[in-house]
Amino acid sequence: MTSPISGILPVGISAVTGVAGSTNVDAVASTSNGDGFASVLSSTFDKLQSTQNAADSLGAQAATGDLKDVHDYMIARTEASLATEMVVTFKNKAVEAFNDIMRMPV
Amino acid sequence: MAIFDTLGISGSGLMVHRKWLDAVSDNISNVNTVTRTNEDAFRERFVVAQSVDYGSGEGGVRVARAEFGSGEGRMVYEPDHPLADAEGYVKYPDVDLGDQMTQLLMAQRGYQANLAVVERATNMYQAALQLGKG
Repeated sequence: MTSPISGILPVGISAVTGVAGSTNVDAVASTSNGDGFASVLSSTFDKLQSTQNAADSLGAQAATGDLKDVHDYMIARTEASLATEMVVTFKNKAVEAFNDIMRMPV
Repeated sequence: MAIFDTLGISGSGLMVHRKWLDAVSDNISNVNTVTRTNEDAFRERFVVAQSVDYGSGEGGVRVARAEFGSGEGRMVYEPDHPLADAEGYVKYPDVDLGDQMTQLLMAQRGYQANLAVVERATNMYQAALQLGKG
């Protein structure tokens, strides 16, 4: 009869200290200042900016009559709008996840 | 851009078919271009397409070069023509209008097919971005 009791005690205590790993600041810090979601989002923004710029310059060419192919401009515009849609979707998903966590009952 | 590759590949197809249309319109516009018998007739334009290896990370197609048909032309007896030679002959280009119309159809349909791919790919990407909504 003594063995199950002694078995339960260490398990309970170690489990609680293990859960306290959420206060493990090292692990959290290393992900947030490294390649976290923020850097992924910012690199995606850079790509979005470059597609928008490409579409804009083709639009300027269309206005000045330097554009060789009509479809080039339309494809660049489609690509830019798709990239915008993609970034907005990513942002929405991230905000959604954040809100889910904020709504979590404590 | 790497994510929306399909659009760029279809764009290269559009460009090749547009150039083909240019070549066909060039041929048709010169179908009645008369030259002297001692000169070369208008030479038919051909567009040579070449596929771009998808393994290179690009894919699609490009115009490798333009080829020209024979400048021999065909002799037509038109003694009243100001360019006619002593025997009354002038040279017409060796461009077959029926053949050009067939090529025009093929180039136009190919252009439209590539546009359809662009549209479908756009819808596809948009559908992917709708994933998990609603």
